[in-house]
Amino acid sequence: MPKTETYTLSMGPQHPSTHGVLQVRLDLDGENILKATPYMGYLHRGIEKLLESRTYIQGVPYTDRLDYVSSMNNNLGYCRAVEELAQIEVPERAEYIRVIVAELNRIASHLVFIGSLANDLGAVTGMIYAFRDREKILDLFDLVCGARMTFHYIRVGGVSADLPPEFAAKCDEFLKIVPEFMQEYEDILTGNEILQHRLHGTSPMTKEQALSHNMTGPNIRAVGIPFDIRKVDGYGLYPKFEFDVPVGENGDNWDRYRVRYQEIYESAKIIRQALDGLPEGDIMAKFPKVLRPPKGEVFSRTEGTRGELGFYIVSDGSTKPYRVHIRRPSFINLQGLDDMCRGMLIGDSVAAFSAIDPLMGEVDC
Amino acid sequence: MDILNMMMGQGVVSTLADQLHNLFMLLFDNAVVAGFLMKCVGIGAILGIISVAAIVFTYGERKVCAFMQVRIGPNRVGGRFGLLQPIADMLKLMSKEDIIPQGCDRVVWALGPMLLFVPTALIYAFFPFDNGVALADVNVGIFLMLAISSQAVLPFLISGYASNSKYAFIGGMRTVAQMLSYEAPMVFSLLGVVMLSGSMRMSDIVNAQSEQLWFILMQPIAFVVFVISATAETNRVPFDLVEGEAEIVAGPFAEYSGMRWALFFLAEYANLLSVSILTTVFFLGGWNGPFLPGVVWFGLKVLAMVFVFMWFRWTFPRTRIDQMLAFSWKILLPLALVNVLFTGVGIYARQWM
Amino acid sequence: MKAYIDASLLAILKQKFPSVEYDGEAAQPAVYVPAAELVAVLSFLRDDERFAFARLENLTSVDYQTYFEMVYHLFNWNTGAWITVKVKLDHEQPAVPSVTGVFPGVEFEEREVYDLMGIGFTGHPDLRRILMADDFEGHPLRKDYKQIMPPHVPRIRKEGR
Repeated sequence: MPKTETYTLSMGPQHPSTHGVLQVRLDLDGENILKATPYMGYLHRGIEKLLESRTYIQGVPYTDRLDYVSSMNNNLGYCRAVEELAQIEVPERAEYIRVIVAELNRIASHLVFIGSLANDLGAVTGMIYAFRDREKILDLFDLVCGARMTFHYIRVGGVSADLPPEFAAKCDEFLKIVPEFMQEYEDILTGNEILQHRLHGTSPMTKEQALSHNMTGPNIRAVGIPFDIRKVDGYGLYPKFEFDVPVGENGDNWDRYRVRYQEIYESAKIIRQALDGLPEGDIMAKFPKVLRPPKGEVFSRTEGTRGELGFYIVSDGSTKPYRVHIRRPSFINLQGLDDMCRGMLIGDSVAAFSAIDPLMGEVDC
Repeated sequence: MDILNMMMGQGVVSTLADQLHNLFMLLFDNAVVAGFLMKCVGIGAILGIISVAAIVFTYGERKVCAFMQVRIGPNRVGGRFGLLQPIADMLKLMSKEDIIPQGCDRVVWALGPMLLFVPTALIYAFFPFDNGVALADVNVGIFLMLAISSQAVLPFLISGYASNSKYAFIGGMRTVAQMLSYEAPMVFSLLGVVMLSGSMRMSDIVNAQSEQLWFILMQPIAFVVFVISATAETNRVPFDLVEGEAEIVAGPFAEYSGMRWALFFLAEYANLLSVSILTTVFFLGGWNGPFLPGVVWFGLKVLAMVFVFMWFRWTFPRTRIDQMLAFSWKILLPLALVNVLFTGVGIYARQWM
Repeated sequence: MKAYIDASLLAILKQKFPSVEYDGEAAQPAVYVPAAELVAVLSFLRDDERFAFARLENLTSVDYQTYFEMVYHLFNWNTGAWITVKVKLDHEQPAVPSVTGVFPGVEFEEREVYDLMGIGFTGHPDLRRILMADDFEGHPLRKDYKQIMPPHVPRIRKEGR
């Protein structure tokens, strides 16, 4: 029997498939992974500390930089926390607009997931297709707020600008082509036997494991637990809308892919209902220019695209928050990486990174 | 009319070669010298084909990829269609710094890309480009071709080993596993062709296809097995685990830059061309075809196969190493063996009929 | 937080753990637990079927300059109830028992608190810095943290010219 040795392979922080600057050290026995340890912090900018030295309203653009492919959802989470702290009542039209843009951004983010998963599995064409369709959403955001990333559109108390008159027609047009491009992914990716072999049964996770790692978002729904804050907390206008929470069965990469795939349809459903029910009215609540929330603290959470996005804000009664803590879903989901990679092959580790869908701006904060 | 007859009967290229040979005989009046010069011309022509193919295929690959991905592709350098893009690529590669990684085994490391080019270029000697146009039309052509092309494993392994990088080493190890295991179904799929034509000489195989049907119709299973294993032999998607960009960065190529990397690139495209030529020779009837001269038919069929391989590359995801090896040993090899069996039974039955 | 835990349940908790303190007047009172009893209280909150706080949604800490506060937000999915558990810590030598034994999913969050706030977690399986470099000195989220300016880099262009 020849003597074998385990060795360490450092994937990242500069690696084609680690989605930013995540470093994962793989302990390998041949091609089999014995242990995967994530090392992060390469993108740490100290946003929590920076928010302490800005006023509440100045803090909103910093949240854009957390999860930079779904900035609208971060804006929403932070603004909801500040509103809960300062007891600001948001006008109904603003709430509707928030739902529309947040769900559009969820679709955009899931398209990035599909694209990067395809890219990491070597199907470059699938990546280009997904990014092509994401462009259409970015064009819509361009119309709404003039930016294609880091929108800073949702503000404390409402939204920064009303929807332009042509938005409804353009959004309608987009919703009509959603099934078309989804069918294209079905043809080029889902139906491909190689992709199915790569995703079925790889990186499986049990319900107990997912719960013990405190995973949230599509990662926990993939194991079959319908934990969606939009349903669990029913915040904002979400109880008004009819939508399902897609869940997986086996908790493997295939389920993670399918759950996000189905969520695109559900988000489109919500946007359709919100567009139809969009009322007239104000888009901004009336509150003093210098916001001084009362002394106290709040923990407010929303369903970000990657899971439960929570903001814990402590106010000391001044214009600046005393302490802000952000519960970043990608950061906590990364705890599951070790369990997902163990016993798999090097090729699967790449699929596992993609399937967790961490975003380093959010992990490193 | 005379010339046309000659062209149809003998083919453009061999006519040209004959004329050139006559010219050399006139000049030197010595059969040995003329023969030597003719071989030199042939070698030059093959190297020329490989270089031109690399240039055309880089452009073609980018345009095909752009077409598949709903993009435009190169459109700046050299007019609207970016025709000079490969030249620009080449200039870029040549002007790059030659970085030698620290701690590598320098001699072996430098030998890697050069050695890789030898077997890839060598097998071109056996290809019949047209009727009677082959540099060495030996009677064990297939055998020699397979023997030489399997030597391409070693340069990958040594460059992976010598780079002193884990990614490169994993890539080198994968190469050995992949290329050795796909050699077997490839050889067995060709066995059916050899049985039908009764010869290992490549020009005999093509001639057999002009007498009988094209072998793609008589040996469809062998064709499929051959194309799949040829894709694996050339390390292209879906079997590009050796490079595996998303997993092991670029495998054995990770530590090479500039012209050394370009040599790998050249070998890759030379491989692509050679497997397309092989498919054409064994299954698509080689130079046979109506109306047009043989060499044109040959070129068209080869380009069609090149397009098919590029099509694979830009639509499929990458397989995993264990799935890929299992596919080779558990599916392709039995399939090829069954094909050999049925071919044998078929030939035996036809003798009795 | 929409639904907070009932006052009657809080009384049961107080009965079980007399050292637990909370402000009965407040609408959503945080439960202050001494560090020594933290693990016992959290296991009780998780396992007792009247409480059944199966999820620890958030773990963080706040620097109040004279003392530190560990904050745990627990959530009961069945009833939608929340509870905030807090631990007051000494400012000089802050240390708290790790709750990874009760809720394994807080491993990274505890490491983050250790890294940025400098609170030690006894019994944590892998207590290393997570965001800052291993040789980094200081804990950036503390209020008394002074930023170390980068070493002097010569300017390319002289000022004022």
